[in-house]
Amino acid sequence: MIATPDINWIAILPELVLALGAVGVLLVDVQWKPATRVLGAIAAFTLVFAIAFTFLQWAQARDALEFGAPGELVAFSGMVLMDGFAVFGRFVLLVMAGLGLLAGWRLFESLNRRGAEAIALVLLATTGFSIMVASNNLVMMFLGLEIGSISLYVLAGLTREKAKADEAAMKYFLLGSFASAIFVYGVALLYAGTGQLEILAIRQFFTDFIVTRPAVILIGLALIIVGLGFKVSAAPFHSWAPDVYQGAPAGVVGYMAAMAKIAGFLAIARILLTGVPQLDNSWLPVIAGLSALSMLVGSIVALVQSDIRRMLAYSGVAHAGFIMTGIVGGATTGMLFYVAAYALQLIGAFAVVAVVSGAGSSESSISEYRGLARRSPALATAFAVLLLGMAGLPLTSGFIAKFGVFTEAWANGYGWLVIVAVLASVIAFAFYLRVIVAMYMDETEEERILVSPPARWVLAIAVVGTILAGVLPAPLIDLAANAFPL
Amino acid sequence: MIVGAGLYMALAAALFLIGALGLLLRRNALVMFMCIELMLNAVNLTLISAGRALNDLNGQVAVFFVLVVAAAEVVVGLAIIVAIFRRRATASVDELSELRG
Repeated sequence: MIATPDINWIAILPELVLALGAVGVLLVDVQWKPATRVLGAIAAFTLVFAIAFTFLQWAQARDALEFGAPGELVAFSGMVLMDGFAVFGRFVLLVMAGLGLLAGWRLFESLNRRGAEAIALVLLATTGFSIMVASNNLVMMFLGLEIGSISLYVLAGLTREKAKADEAAMKYFLLGSFASAIFVYGVALLYAGTGQLEILAIRQFFTDFIVTRPAVILIGLALIIVGLGFKVSAAPFHSWAPDVYQGAPAGVVGYMAAMAKIAGFLAIARILLTGVPQLDNSWLPVIAGLSALSMLVGSIVALVQSDIRRMLAYSGVAHAGFIMTGIVGGATTGMLFYVAAYALQLIGAFAVVAVVSGAGSSESSISEYRGLARRSPALATAFAVLLLGMAGLPLTSGFIAKFGVFTEAWANGYGWLVIVAVLASVIAFAFYLRVIVAMYMDETEEERILVSPPARWVLAIAVVGTILAGVLPAPLIDLAANAFPL
Repeated sequence: MIVGAGLYMALAAALFLIGALGLLLRRNALVMFMCIELMLNAVNLTLISAGRALNDLNGQVAVFFVLVVAAAEVVVGLAIIVAIFRRRATASVDELSELRG
């Protein structure tokens, strides 16, 4: 008698819906060649359904924990988890995918027949990253990472007729695949050392056995950290990010950056905090070092950038460092809050870039932002709020996020890291303020800018979210605190 | 003579290093791409020999997934390289230097 595998479809419902939606978009496009907005409507329905299913999963996850049956959250023979951590990550990814579609809408429309591919790729990348944050099996995580990353390589080269987009796609592809190969080699070594591919089983392995010769395991773990460090553009593995952000079409950069960062950090946190917490003597100093380096390199190099996208890329490197202080803190609450808040600001900021320089454009000099407050006061205000949020001004989500991860790291005995982090935040203010000063203090002769309705929605949601999470952070913090990994 | 899993894994490590160094040192996009494939195959060899040594099927099955991913990467990677080659008639990454700051 063959045992039937336990299949709990609810655990992967959002991914199922997303994948079906992506295929649906392509099929509808081939069969009826509808206007791009019809395909956009299909994608929107897909995302709404997927988000609705995450609420269902959240309720089930709460129930299972309440009745003391966490085993019910392990689905498909240990391949996928449906714990709060996965569901929270999924929810954030799906919301960002929706905002990403809106922010890139002008670009997708301008691609004519290729708009369908772009929309399908956005849904597919979301599917991949969403399965990545939910996976318990490391090979599954690799699959999710690659489904997402390969879709992003194509998105980066969406406007390949413009030389800079194909260069961005090439760089992203080569370094991204390099990172994936490093990650999966780390998985293979971890498997060779422990005989397990499942993260929960690896934790059990370390509880059951005392490893006397951990060299292979530690090398494997180091390679996993390097591989994922590339994906989230943590220093010193960040060299691809400025070039890719600069060259890729403005409409999708925010989406690309936000998705890779959310999924990458959740994967790092899951592997380190739930897989190998017993080895924290080995990995905590490494993550702390990467974190300090990222914050300093990101903040200092961002000061001298003349292209706003490169500046945002280096600020992303610094933010990667800040988020890693949350992992150093050994808890996920602050990190989850930070990831959600930062992803929203990032998509909003790149939506502004897409409006100012054009959705399909490559490169956006900071000088384009001179006098933006006169060309479009609303746009300049939105951008200023988002930049101040990234800088971590009080009353914005960035402040609460930074405060959260810093307290966690401090409580875990990493005071020096918090001091470096505060120093880096102060440096970071300088380059954010530089843009704001250019927008408000400089004069310009350029004509007014009209913001398209989809971009207006993205900016409104990003700004309201940034301020709301800064003034009334309690609900989101509660949510993040309940979203601990199994 | 019986060759143990350890030796296979050492060979895999050597292949992986050759691939990584090739990617970092070579300047032709196609060759760099082949180096990534080499790295993925080193991963496969590691997974197979570890799975065999542990007498565990998971490692061997994982190889299929890595193979599929490698194939998907080939599709996208070659398409990007061809797109670059059409525009610039070169596959050298040194020519790709418009993005800098």
